Amino acid sequence: MIDFVNVKKAYPNGTMALKGIDLHIDEGEFVFVCGPSGAGKSTLMKLLLREERISSGKLTVGEYDLSELSNVRVPYYRRELGVVFQDFRLFPKKTVFENVAFAMEVVGTPKSLIARRVPAILNTVNLNGKQDSFPNEISGGEQQRVALARALANNPKVIIADEPTGNIDPKMSLEIMSLLIKINKLGKTVIVVTHEKDLVDYYKQRVVMLDNGLIVEDRVGGMFNAQV
Amino acid sequence: MRRYNPFYFIGQAFEGLFRNGVMSFASIAVLTSLLVVIGGFTLLVTNIDVNLDEFGLINQIVVFCDPNASDEQIATIGEAIGKLDNIESVQHVTKEEGLEQMKAEYDIYDDVDEANNPLPDSFVITYLENEKVPNLDYQLNQIEGIAKVNNRLDLATKIEGFKRGVMLVFVWFLVILGVVSIFIIINTIKLSVFSRRNEISIMQYVGATGWFISLPYIIEGAVIGIVSSVAAYFIEWYIYSYIEEMVITDLQMISILQFTDIRGYVFWGFVGLGIITGVLGSIISLARYLRQ
Repeated sequence: MIDFVNVKKAYPNGTMALKGIDLHIDEGEFVFVCGPSGAGKSTLMKLLLREERISSGKLTVGEYDLSELSNVRVPYYRRELGVVFQDFRLFPKKTVFENVAFAMEVVGTPKSLIARRVPAILNTVNLNGKQDSFPNEISGGEQQRVALARALANNPKVIIADEPTGNIDPKMSLEIMSLLIKINKLGKTVIVVTHEKDLVDYYKQRVVMLDNGLIVEDRVGGMFNAQV
Repeated sequence: MRRYNPFYFIGQAFEGLFRNGVMSFASIAVLTSLLVVIGGFTLLVTNIDVNLDEFGLINQIVVFCDPNASDEQIATIGEAIGKLDNIESVQHVTKEEGLEQMKAEYDIYDDVDEANNPLPDSFVITYLENEKVPNLDYQLNQIEGIAKVNNRLDLATKIEGFKRGVMLVFVWFLVILGVVSIFIIINTIKLSVFSRRNEISIMQYVGATGWFISLPYIIEGAVIGIVSSVAAYFIEWYIYSYIEEMVITDLQMISILQFTDIRGYVFWGFVGLGIITGVLGSIISLARYLRQ
């Protein structure tokens, strides 16, 4: 599904953010990407989202070879991904329903399908009855669930969550992580970038540990690595 | 099948226009000025051409025959003119035709009839090259039976020079105001894009294409162009009508086109130019999104 082959990334200022990453993630896997600040986690995400191009090596996601992907094809590639951010990035003037529907509107989904699908997705993330609320009327955890629902809106194959629990309390964090596990069980590949040791240890999923631009540990059922 | 709601794009465009009201107003004001100036210069040049044509100043010399010349002599003069160099055409205007033309243009000829017609026969000569006119003028004066050669080359040259000067000023105004208009529209659209940067970033993450992201801003530019062109049309109409009335009342020697005869050209010209400028400004400011 996702293949990093000796991927290196250097920024124009000379910083070598990734120094040769080899990583294979199968379809339907759940992976935590962990590591200290400056380890290369954000760069890895940016490469997966094709915000940045790799400097050398080969990176493929499904049928897309990101080393070769032209700018024109990027939007079509991104429709295969669902992205969740630490700061939710919801539209404050749109309702919960409209926030989720927006992701479908921008890819030209017919209104009738949007009307059917959005309530079903909101049900998946336990937001029944909240569809007419505005983001400022619901809790942080609920806002993150709206973001998760939006990530699911176009039925992507891969969900990428960048510090999804960074802005919410521990109880809500567990809820969000449980939802991500649930989504993974529905067949989606889930990649979660986090530095929250307790959550990683609690869920015992595959852990890819980065440090100084290199993978220092990759273990199924792993723990937040004590070696780093 | 992908179906996009056109009202989404139009709604977003108007939202952007009102959100950055001051910049939108500035864009409309500058673009309107540009269109009024362009329209003004175009109408001026067109009217100069109309007058030049009417006065027969473009590549034409009129020669008058001796009033006592016989029909045979007049025919001989016509043949002699036709044999000269630098001649495109020669038209014989009999004194009767000359009188008819004068009656049509001036009231004072109403009482004149053929018996007391003071006009001689004349020839309207259309020549090929301005540079050779002095030579042609000399040759015409040598032909027996020609009483007067009306060579208005000096006046024609002066009016042509004035027209060239007007065109030069026009081109500079066009370039300067065009650049300023596009620059202001670029900034208006950039402000609009900046105020919606979060929305745009989310759109990019969920797979919106560059065109989907850009279309509302392109429509915004087109709307700026349309509003400006309509405003410019009414301003031009008002100014032109004022000048038209002044010319008709005080400057009867000068012909002026009626606005009602040309308003279609003015209106659609303005709309076309306005839309092109507005859309061009938008496309320049959105280049990075459209490349995606």
